[in-house]
Amino acid sequence: MTVTLPELKKGFERVGYICDDSTALTVFLTLELKKPLLIEGAPGVGKTEMGKVLADILNTNLIRLQCYEGLDETKALYEWNYQRQLLRIQMNRNLEEEQVKEEDLFSEQYLMERPLLKAIQAEEKPVLLIDEVDKCDPEFEAFLFEVLSDFQVSIPELGTIRANQIPVVALTSNNERELSDGLKRRCLYLCLDFPSLENEVQIIKAKVPETADRLAWDIARVVARLRRQGDLRKKPSIAETIDWARALVTLNHSRLDGKLVGETLNLLLKNRADQELFREEIGRQGIEEVLKQGGGEATR
Amino acid sequence: MMLSEKNPGRHLEENLVTFTNLLRKEGIPVSTSETMDALRALQVVDMSSRKEFKTALQVALIKNQRNRDYFNRLFDYFFASPETRSRGEEKAAAYKKQYAEQLDRADSELKFKGKSLQLTPSELARYSTMSSEQRARLQDFMHKTETGVNVEERFRPILEAVVKSHLRYCRTGSNQERNTGSRTGAQASGDMPGGSDLESGRNNAVISEMDIQSITSTELPEAEQLLQRLSKKLAVQLFRRRRSGPRSGPIDLRRSLRDNMRYGGIIFKLKHRPKRRTREQILLLCDVSASMKQYSTFVIHFMHGLREAVRNLSCFSFSDKLENMTPEIKKRGGLQQLLDRVIRRSETWGGGTNLGLSIRELIDKYPDLLNSRTSVIVVSDTRTISLSNAVNELSKLNELVRRIIWLNPLPREQWAEYRSVELMNELVEMWPCNTIAQLEEVLSGHL
Repeated sequence: MTVTLPELKKGFERVGYICDDSTALTVFLTLELKKPLLIEGAPGVGKTEMGKVLADILNTNLIRLQCYEGLDETKALYEWNYQRQLLRIQMNRNLEEEQVKEEDLFSEQYLMERPLLKAIQAEEKPVLLIDEVDKCDPEFEAFLFEVLSDFQVSIPELGTIRANQIPVVALTSNNERELSDGLKRRCLYLCLDFPSLENEVQIIKAKVPETADRLAWDIARVVARLRRQGDLRKKPSIAETIDWARALVTLNHSRLDGKLVGETLNLLLKNRADQELFREEIGRQGIEEVLKQGGGEATR
Repeated sequence: MMLSEKNPGRHLEENLVTFTNLLRKEGIPVSTSETMDALRALQVVDMSSRKEFKTALQVALIKNQRNRDYFNRLFDYFFASPETRSRGEEKAAAYKKQYAEQLDRADSELKFKGKSLQLTPSELARYSTMSSEQRARLQDFMHKTETGVNVEERFRPILEAVVKSHLRYCRTGSNQERNTGSRTGAQASGDMPGGSDLESGRNNAVISEMDIQSITSTELPEAEQLLQRLSKKLAVQLFRRRRSGPRSGPIDLRRSLRDNMRYGGIIFKLKHRPKRRTREQILLLCDVSASMKQYSTFVIHFMHGLREAVRNLSCFSFSDKLENMTPEIKKRGGLQQLLDRVIRRSETWGGGTNLGLSIRELIDKYPDLLNSRTSVIVVSDTRTISLSNAVNELSKLNELVRRIIWLNPLPREQWAEYRSVELMNELVEMWPCNTIAQLEEVLSGHL
């Protein structure tokens, strides 16, 4: 599964993931150097999407491990199927000739693969997406970077299992806490920012093709203005921009104005404090000004 | 195109190692394995493209957003074009010359009986960055001492000690020198071929390294954003659910049966339900006395940021008495309104400090806020009158609440000078936070 940089860029285009050249180059380096990729950035910039898109481009399976507090090896790596083992013991209890040996019970038949083991044992190189790694406990993180450095796991009853193929690994983090140096050292690093105005327009056009040019530019401009408002609790994400575009298209609008933005604000700003802040700091007039500024570009 | 012009024959590897050393000198951790990754990455990309070359180095060597700005600037200096480099070298030479002249001037002005005082270059530099009034005052003092009755050569060590302590006290003007000093180490050692112009174009990374009191009004919006991000991080850290102990709640029969199937259904290990989560509470106790005046904006920024991030927040300011700021803080409005409101209406702003009395008042008047769910964050330099009383009251407060986190805006190297820091540090977790980067470090690693 070797991909050249132009092929990768085309792949991103094909699946509608609009990104700049340096992002594409970083992903290309990840594939070439066979290193995990740590993706950081604000919520909603497309970190998780990157993992999904990679699986799509490389035409392979996506194995996802969602991290949360309390996640441990039994949920991430493997667990013995105790119910099945017990059933086997019970079933063979009365049969003299069918003595159950210990090694029979601890064979692969009774092993429940969790995402990490699944990725290591996969026949075809999968994409392993370890999502929101900053939410897991530091102990699990330490365990994780052992797995990621050697791509092998030791199961006491079975021995060491080595990866058939080194999977493409993408880890995402919202930077809620600092990750350990050990984990970072083993990864290449990509910091995703919110897209530029032009890229945002392209994203809107790619995801909601029915959007009129003028409307796409208006949406991108308003969203960019909202993101510039430093004290918003939650800046509008790309997914929310797309939802908004879809809603406006459904309502048959081909351009924005201050009133319409006010009416559909719920799709972009999802808490009351942010909405009040919008009314106080930007308001209908602020939006009209933003829309006026880009009149020339919008008509091209 | 980008390799060192001083030595065009140097190999890529050598340049890379020099560059990573430069990053390390600037405080960016780069391991050997990361350097090797960078080298492998360079072999994959088109090295004739500056953009690709830079991206390859960046993804392998830089692992957090904070260091990205530094990397960009160092990259531009190190891999500068010949024209930029020669311009930079001229600037650096001019800067060095100017610096040497400043030291000479300072040395000539600080003489006792015709001989120079024994001052370090950094002390001389600090003197030269003082305002002309401050310099004149110090010179006047030296002159009066020198011409005093019975003043002999044996007074020299005393005078030196006085001048040194005065220079230490007048830090305001020299903060910039101290803060950028660590980041210009590479230039001083001659590793940076392009020379340095680090003063220009301050950005987030630089602001986060600056002493909070030296942040100017033009840099406030960036500092404000950084602080807001940190406040959110602090809230997450404090409210993070720790893994509950084995006997944390009532027995969970279903989980106990399921988990003990591995022992043939014999209950060896009991599983408990997690304890019901109680609402955590943060109590912010900010010192707004005269000694903390320089940090007042930081304190308000911090209050504002926490207000946005924490629902259960109580805010108190104190100097010689306590004042409940919670209603003011909870009013809607931007930071500027908050600044105006707090400074205009506060009765405690800029007074003396009586920490003991303030804590006593807090314990007496607001007992319902102090319980095992409360985390108290104190922002103060610890300087107070009736120190022993303050320590006693702090100890009592410590017993009432879950934890006390003390953020001290005094730089750590000054802590040894204060008895109050020593005593309070024994009672509570104390962290230096005179730069935003330090605050971030506390939040990332220690809470």
